[in-house]
Amino acid sequence: MHSSTLILIILSLFLGTGVWLVFIWAVKKGEFDDIEGAKYRMLEDDLPPTRQGEDVDEKSPFP
Amino acid sequence: MSTDSCHHCRLPIPPADAIIDRIDGQELRFCCQGCRSVYRIISGAGLGTYYEKRQLSRSGLPAGTVQDTYDDAYLSGFVSERHGKGELSFLIEGIRCASCVWLVERYVGSLAGVSEIRLNYGTHRGRVVFDPLAVSPGAIFAAVARLGYTPRPFSYDAARQAEEREQRTTLIRFGTACFLSMQLMGYSLALYAGYFQGIDPASRTLMQYFAALVTTPVVFYSGWPFLRGALRSLRTRTANMDLLIALGVLSAYGASLFALYGGGEVYFDTAAMIVTLILAGRLFEGSARRRAASGVDRLLRLTPEIAHREIGTTTEVVATGSLRIGDILLVRPGERLPVDGTILAGSTEIDEAAVSGEPLPVLRIAGDPVTAGTLNLSASVRVQVTAPAADSFVARVARLVEEAQSRRAPVQRLADRVAALFVPLVVLVAGATFSYWIWAAGTVDPLLAAVAVLVIACPCALGLATPTAVLVATGASAERGILFRGGDVLEGTARLTLAAFDKTGTLTEGKPKIAAIRPLAGSEEDLLNLVARAEGGSNHPLAKCIVAEARRRGLESGDGGGIRTLPGLGVELDLEEGMLRVGSRRFLQQAGIGGMDPFSGEALTEIHAALGDRYLGSILCEDTLRPEAADAVARLRRLGIGTAILTGDTVEAARSIGDRLGIDEVHGALSPGDKAEWVKNAMARGERVLMVGDGINDAPALSEADVGCAMAGGTDIALETSDLVLTRPDLTTLVAGVEVARRTLGIIRQNLFWAFAYNILALPLAAAGELAPIHAAAAMAASSICVVGNSLRLKNL
Repeated sequence: MHSSTLILIILSLFLGTGVWLVFIWAVKKGEFDDIEGAKYRMLEDDLPPTRQGEDVDEKSPFP
Repeated sequence: MSTDSCHHCRLPIPPADAIIDRIDGQELRFCCQGCRSVYRIISGAGLGTYYEKRQLSRSGLPAGTVQDTYDDAYLSGFVSERHGKGELSFLIEGIRCASCVWLVERYVGSLAGVSEIRLNYGTHRGRVVFDPLAVSPGAIFAAVARLGYTPRPFSYDAARQAEEREQRTTLIRFGTACFLSMQLMGYSLALYAGYFQGIDPASRTLMQYFAALVTTPVVFYSGWPFLRGALRSLRTRTANMDLLIALGVLSAYGASLFALYGGGEVYFDTAAMIVTLILAGRLFEGSARRRAASGVDRLLRLTPEIAHREIGTTTEVVATGSLRIGDILLVRPGERLPVDGTILAGSTEIDEAAVSGEPLPVLRIAGDPVTAGTLNLSASVRVQVTAPAADSFVARVARLVEEAQSRRAPVQRLADRVAALFVPLVVLVAGATFSYWIWAAGTVDPLLAAVAVLVIACPCALGLATPTAVLVATGASAERGILFRGGDVLEGTARLTLAAFDKTGTLTEGKPKIAAIRPLAGSEEDLLNLVARAEGGSNHPLAKCIVAEARRRGLESGDGGGIRTLPGLGVELDLEEGMLRVGSRRFLQQAGIGGMDPFSGEALTEIHAALGDRYLGSILCEDTLRPEAADAVARLRRLGIGTAILTGDTVEAARSIGDRLGIDEVHGALSPGDKAEWVKNAMARGERVLMVGDGINDAPALSEADVGCAMAGGTDIALETSDLVLTRPDLTTLVAGVEVARRTLGIIRQNLFWAFAYNILALPLAAAGELAPIHAAAAMAASSICVVGNSLRLKNL
């Protein structure tokens, strides 16, 4: 009884600490700086992989 | 062919100006070469989905300057190096929607050498990381400019970096408090269950130790701002919210530690929840207030950073800050004046709307002064510098704004004023409780009873009373077009006694309209038709309103062919019957045409017309009142708020408007400093002043006033230096804002009542030693729920 309760409490503390560390990492990385743009970013599609730097430069009418 | 609007910017295309281009097999129409070029860039870069994603609320291109070259040497000063990569921060003007952010990021990100670009949607600031050997800062800025936006270098000064660090630290403290409080509630739940059902003493002690473990960082790390504020409060001998919070938190924590070893009940959840909830309130309030500080930045960015200085027969690009009095500059059409100066040669029309808010271009000829930040429209001019950049009109206004913002004491929060009275009372009650039970020497532990009093005084509900009401009110107001920038603005708005208005663009539309058509002979349509033929090709606002009226009446307008424009005077057009002249009174007098009526003296703009040497008549245009202005002024008066007009225009023009609106106090010919001075004097008389404006000449007064309010469509500078923003150009929204603020203040007072009701009921019980921790926790939760629920009533505005 006591030992299992203790294990569960310590496990939840470690899991929570992990989430907390991820949160701190996200804050320092600036994930929370622009809370308005995030809701639009999820609508963006990735570009086709064939279109990269040099290809775009060639197509640009103003090199 | 089915549409006559530009494919890129959606503006109507004057037929003669249409540019037709065949792109990807489609025949597309554009209004100018700029839009066609931008469309080609966007399509060529494979970013055509821009047109699917954008949500333009207004059609049109950004109104930034056209700057065809970005000086690498100048921009290098803003580049910082990190791990062999260059890093450059910038501010982009013209961002309207998420599509703009997307487009800039994709297009610039696709340049060779650019490894990372990030644009902040809310602040329009960006950061780009690039390889200095592969691409130059000038090329990056030129790429942004080709899309039609105006990039400006931006450097984080120490104060801004410290502010952002503080913001992140607050967020981390709050996140820490949330996480640990959630853990704590698990342990507290076990303890409360044990209180009712019984719990094994060993398990109880274990839970209490874990509770202590997770509460300690909440109190001393997350709660550090409150503890520090309390220390400061003690040092200055003034009680405030921080002291009240610290008293409750430390009392609960200390008593709990004592009980941990003595075998009593613990209050760890109380201590943690106080910190968590009040930190949440502070976080919400802080994010709103931060936006207000960026106004001065925008003001200083209004002038370009580089200028073209003449050296002999050539020009060189120099930093604006390096210009000296006497330097001669070349300013081309589409460029903004970098500094104040005097025109040496040439004549042009200048758009001063960004500086003065006046909608019509102004003719400037040799000898005329010009102001930094204004936009050159018509022709290239040579300008002699009369003041260095630091002393330009814009810089002086910026200093006035900064002085006003720093001088203005923040509105003391209602909760702080309440806490100043409450703290001594609570301490007194605790002391009395302790003394009584010492004297009674009986059933209750004196120390525990005194601590219970301090704990019961925990200001959870008090701390939530204002932030929750402000949060709900600002959210609901935003849906109705009213943006309050912080809770103190709401409180300030509720207490207003005087409203001062700018005139042009605030009380008036800022767009000219036809007031009267006065033909000498013949019908109004005949005169209007002739004038519209002459004005059809012009972009002048007066010409636009004439052409619009002609179209409304089904008349034709000209296509601009054969028209000769004389800046500041009018236009000429050869017809079979003779030369058609349309323009100012002076224009026709110079041509020797007589028969015009004397000047009426009304605040109207006159457009006269003549065919050959025969005077035809005149058209009067006025900057019309906003249709809702009179109603808004009347409603403000009924709310007990006086009104006044402050304008840079003449006293006559202002009085004319004032008479029609019922505003008695009228002041004209005011400079930005004069407006701010007037506001300051009114506040010194005890008035609570609201300033409403839209130009940067209003910015100092907007900052000086108790509440500054900017109209939608006003300059960015007015919007950013104001406390209250109306997102729709409707003055009745302002009245609604005042009503919302007053109602919100009422709700806040009700919230404070609920908070105090809890304390009044709980304190005697605590003093009597009858209050168990479980009951205290339940009562606190009930009190907080009442406060939050009451605040939610503001959603139904």
